[in-house]
Amino acid sequence: MQNGPSSRDPHVLLSGLNRGRVSLELGTLDLCFLAALHLRAERDGLASFDEELVLDVFEQVCALVEPGVETMRKRATHTIQRLRTQRLLARVDATGIVAAGEYSLTALATVIVRSFLEDEELTRESLTLLTGAMLSSLGQARAAAERARGEEDWRAGVVAPLRVTVADLVSGIERRQRGLDQQQEELRKEIGQLLQTDWFGAVERCQALLDAMTGTLKELNEVLLRDSNQIQAVLLEIQQLAAAAGAAEAERAAQRVSEQVDRAAAWGASRQEAWSGFYQHVHRFVRDVVRLDPDRALSQRLQEQIRAWRARPFALIAASEHRIRLLRPSSARGVRPPVARPRAERERQVSVVAAGERGPDLEALVDDALRAGAKNLAGVTRRVVARVDDASSYRAIGRVAGIVGGLAGVRRSRERPWVAVTDAVEIEDWSMDPVEEPPGE
Amino acid sequence: MSSRFTTLEEVVRDARFPDVDLALRRGRHIDRDDGDRYAFVTDAQEHLEPLYRRYGCELVTQSQGYFYLLPTGDQLSRRHLTAGEMLVGQVLALLYLDPTTVASGGIVSRALVLDRLTGLVPERDLASALEPKRRRFDDERVVHEIIRKGVGQALRRLMRLGFIEPVDSDHVRLRAPLLRFAEPVRGLRDAGEALERLIARGEIAELVTGEGSEP
Repeated sequence: MQNGPSSRDPHVLLSGLNRGRVSLELGTLDLCFLAALHLRAERDGLASFDEELVLDVFEQVCALVEPGVETMRKRATHTIQRLRTQRLLARVDATGIVAAGEYSLTALATVIVRSFLEDEELTRESLTLLTGAMLSSLGQARAAAERARGEEDWRAGVVAPLRVTVADLVSGIERRQRGLDQQQEELRKEIGQLLQTDWFGAVERCQALLDAMTGTLKELNEVLLRDSNQIQAVLLEIQQLAAAAGAAEAERAAQRVSEQVDRAAAWGASRQEAWSGFYQHVHRFVRDVVRLDPDRALSQRLQEQIRAWRARPFALIAASEHRIRLLRPSSARGVRPPVARPRAERERQVSVVAAGERGPDLEALVDDALRAGAKNLAGVTRRVVARVDDASSYRAIGRVAGIVGGLAGVRRSRERPWVAVTDAVEIEDWSMDPVEEPPGE
Repeated sequence: MSSRFTTLEEVVRDARFPDVDLALRRGRHIDRDDGDRYAFVTDAQEHLEPLYRRYGCELVTQSQGYFYLLPTGDQLSRRHLTAGEMLVGQVLALLYLDPTTVASGGIVSRALVLDRLTGLVPERDLASALEPKRRRFDDERVVHEIIRKGVGQALRRLMRLGFIEPVDSDHVRLRAPLLRFAEPVRGLRDAGEALERLIARGEIAELVTGEGSEP
């Protein structure tokens, strides 16, 4: 069987199953009937069953599972029809034409029956058989890997056996491991039940059950550890041969089997550990509780104590030293120097820098404007701005008022008008006294 | 008892001593599930007992296989468990004695603890024990919330003292020191007498309603 990537969309598949309202309903009688047919087929080597045989098997199973059924034939017919509807039984004919009365189990029925019948005992013998068979198959696969010359040799001699035979054997081990897990679970419940119903009387029985399971697990672990090492060694050789030959598929197949074997070995170790914990717990329970209180009166008295606690509350005392003085390790350090920073000369020497171009002489320009007859600040400012470049005009306008204030007397009215001196600038205007000519000029 | 330690110095120099010493002083009960710690205390017991006696406390050992420090003087601080811790602790002890918990290896769910507790103590009484300063418990939702929080807090503190061990957010593992909660009713004598004896020995204190020292 090739494991290639599936191109089927899971959503489509699930929608199809849902639309078809697919379901399986199997009672005990149905399962036993299918199991009986399967076992009969295995025993007698049958590929199909005629109608008489099917009815006969059904009668036998019915007598075991539901004795006292009166309308046996009718019941059998209904059961067979129901199993056919659920695709567990099929009517077949060796020549390919549907013939009356020939039935066989479908693949679905076979898988279901096997999962019930074959999740069975994992014993040292069955495990040894499985691991032995695996080692044998792997030995053959390794020999094939050594001989392989082309892709076809690898596929037929290595990949196919790894994927089919060896994988089947590993699945066999895993199925049996699941069976043992279930057995352990039931054993735990049984021990709990025994103690509950029989208390002191159950101690010996519990001990025996614990010891039996412990012995089983120990044996299985030994086999798993021993054989899994050998199996891994052979798988590693196959992987190395495949890697050297560039057979990637074979290498992957060997890797997958190796992981499965690892899981099986890890199962053994983890079950051993978990069981060991449970074993100790039961032993302590038996020793600390059951043997000291054979009449099981302690639980009853404790319940009464809890109910009556509020009437006379009491509390256990415990130590409570939370702060333990931990001495800080001392260090030989001298006096800590005071916090300081390096002193630096704050005053910097002033250096003489030659003055750059200072722009137009505004005082002279304002003086000229006043002598030319400007009677207000706006007039002075207009005349000065006309004689400076645009880049300096804004700065000059700001300084003109200060210069005018120093050269001429300013008359203040209550509200000074705002007057435009350029397209973009307005100033608060002053009226001024006329400037007197100095004598002798 | 034979010990692999011949002197107290060897005990104190052992790498496990600081951890065990701190745990005991903080009220931790050390039992077989503590593995190495338990082995150390067992080995060093004959040296540790006189050491702790000098600090005014007794290293108590119980037949169920656990140790704890019991302050008998004033040098070591002590606390007594709160009402919540006592009620929850007693129910946990009851579960420890229950054979149905054997199947799960002594692991129980918090829901089971709550269920068992409310089955033995009426909810309002329980809420009152958990919050003694509150007077009104009319609203059922409030009562449930008080119980839920109080039980959660008690479980956390009992974990720190080594009575139980967390498994996951919903489950705890019961440990042997829980049997300490059943001490007053262990013997065949009257429970009241047994309680008086334990109070006289300093292992138990009577609580005034609302009392219980917070750690």
